[in-house]
Formats: sequence, structure tokens, C-alpha cells
Amino acid sequence: MKSIAANLLGNVSDAEDAVQESFLKVYRGAASFRGASRLSTWLYRVLLNSCYDLLRRKARHSEPQPAQTSRAVFLAPEEDHPLRLDLEAAVARLAPRRRMAFLLVEVEGFSHREVGEILGVRETNSRVLLHEAKRDLQRLLSAGGAAREARL
Amino acid sequence: MRRLACLWFEWASRRGRVRAAEAWEAHAEGCSDCRERLTRQQEISRAAPALRKTWETPSLWPRIEKALAAEARRPSAAAVESGEPPRRQPRLVWLPLAAGAALFLIATVGLQVFRGSLGERELLTARNLPREPLLTEATLAEVENSERTYVRAIEDLSRLAEPHLKNSDSALLVNYREKLLLLDSAIGDLRAQLEQNRFNTHLRRELLTVYQEKQRTLEQVVKEVKS
Repeated sequence: MKSIAANLLGNVSDAEDAVQESFLKVYRGAASFRGASRLSTWLYRVLLNSCYDLLRRKARHSEPQPAQTSRAVFLAPEEDHPLRLDLEAAVARLAPRRRMAFLLVEVEGFSHREVGEILGVRETNSRVLLHEAKRDLQRLLSAGGAAREARL
Repeated sequence: MRRLACLWFEWASRRGRVRAAEAWEAHAEGCSDCRERLTRQQEISRAAPALRKTWETPSLWPRIEKALAAEARRPSAAAVESGEPPRRQPRLVWLPLAAGAALFLIATVGLQVFRGSLGERELLTARNLPREPLLTEATLAEVENSERTYVRAIEDLSRLAEPHLKNSDSALLVNYREKLLLLDSAIGDLRAQLEQNRFNTHLRRELLTVYQEKQRTLEQVVKEVKS
């Protein structure tokens, strides 16, 4: 949960706030849980809503900031990849739903069925969102690479 | 400019159909444009797990616990502060009342129906209801004992009818034989279910009905043979 929130919000303290807020919302809304989806997917759905509430609140009170992760506090990933930093920047620029689909499937390892439940869409739509996210990422990564080459 | 086929393969593949994805991969072997796209997508998928963030949060869970505890205390505290009685959710207020009213209605109507069907027989009232549970171990033993006696009687009857059932070519007796086979199979099923829960009175009643049907059928067989 922390990881998704950190990827969406871009910093540790907001991510922790979002996780805490989600638990409170789940506690308050436990009576309204009808069992249509699994508890875990419901919890993640609440988390994503909390993250976007937080982003909206921040956008109202200040200038919107691009999501930037304070990398210093994160522990080194178990398996790093040369593309990670560029990919992280590109993911932050994706449209919200595509970003969520990408993070949930490719980073957190959820199935499309679970992502469908979390995002409230059909399984096929989750696949389409992921495909679109990957297509956008390809474009962003190519543009980023070209700009770097031009600077050099 | 990409060819129409490339666009089609990519479109079909993104719908998530395994065959379409495989077809696109096969097509990509001979199409440099699609191969490049696929390779880049696969590269992104390989890099993605590295985006997973981990960090130490020793204070997060205690913070959440504290917030949840505060939340649990909040409604009563808010009521005290405002001096108002705690607000109830409308649905929670009327739902038990409606359920109670519906139960009362069903019970009243049911009682009238049963009273009519029982005629002069005495109904179970609060006064003569047994204080013990409906089926205790002792009563169950009694029921099982009577059941065994009843089954033995039916088996005696069955032994009487069996030779006639086996040797007869009469269409009526063949029908009876098939019916008895069916009833025996139902008895076997019910017995197996009862072994899971010996106290299931509903199953016992069903078993009794099937035995009664078997008894009737055997009596008809014997009567048929005699005539």
C-alpha cells in the first residue's frame, strides 16, 4: 500500500498520510462493505481514492507539483534496472487511470481481474489501460532519450 | 507509416486476448517496427518492479492504531460536545423494526394456517413447549431405535416381495422394481447425509417419508401378487 501511495503522491510523508486515511475510511465504511469485491481490493480502491483526494487538496491549496520521489529515503530496490529513473519520471506524467493500471499490474503484480475490481472497470478495460500506459511510456521514454542525446 | 496489419495486431493484442498477443508476437518476428515496439514494452515490464518503493516506517502503524482508537471514541465525544443525542443512520433505525414487523406478520399468518390445518389438535404454546432442546441425545437414541424397528419391518416386507419382483415379467411389477431401486438410492443418500449430522430433523422427516413410500410400494406389490 505504501509503495502505491508513494508512486502516486511522490513523497513518503504524503504516502503515509494516505495509508492512514485509508484505514480510517475503511473503519468508517466497514458497515457499507457489501462483499461484492474482495476486502483487499476494496482496501486498495479506498487507498487510490485517498491518494487522489490528497492530490486534489494539495492542488487547491498550492501550485500543483509534479510527482517527484524523494529517493534518498527509499531503500534501494532489490533488483534495480538501468531504466528505473527514466521510467519513474515517465510514470509520473501518465494520465491518472493509466498510471494506476500500470502501477497495480506491472509494479505491484495485481491481476487484471483485481485491477478491474480496484478501479471499478471491466477486466478488458484494465488491459486496455495498461496497454495505453505502456504505449505512452514508450513515447515519453523515447522523447526523453532523444532530448538527452540532443543535450549531449 | 505502420501497415494496417500492424495496427490490427496491436489493437487485438491490447484487448488482452492471449491468441491475439501470440499472433502479434509471431507477426513481429517478420516486422521490424512491431518487433521494436514489443521489445520496448517488454523492457518496460522488466524495469517496472524496480519502481516498487520500500522504506522503514516504525511509527506508521502505531499512528494508525492511535487514529483508529480516536475514531472509535469520536461519535460519543461529538455527541457530548454538541449536547445532542447521537445521530443514527436512518437505514439502521427502520431496518430492525421492519424486519420485526415482517416476522410478526409471518408468524401470525403461519399460526392461523397451522391452527386451521391442525383442527382440534393442541398447538405448542409457550406453556407446553419443552425446555430442553428439540432433539437431545436421549430422544435421538429413542428415534433411532424406533426407526430401526420400522426399517426391520419394511425389510421383512421387502423379503416377501423380492422373489416376485425378481422373477416377474409383468410391466407393473417391473415398474415397481424400478421405483423401489430409486427409493433405495434416495434412502442411501439421505442416510449418508444424516451421518454428517444425526440431529438434522428435516433429513429424518424426509427419510421417514421415503421409507413410508417404500412401505406403500411393497404393500402394493404383495397385494398385486396375491391378486
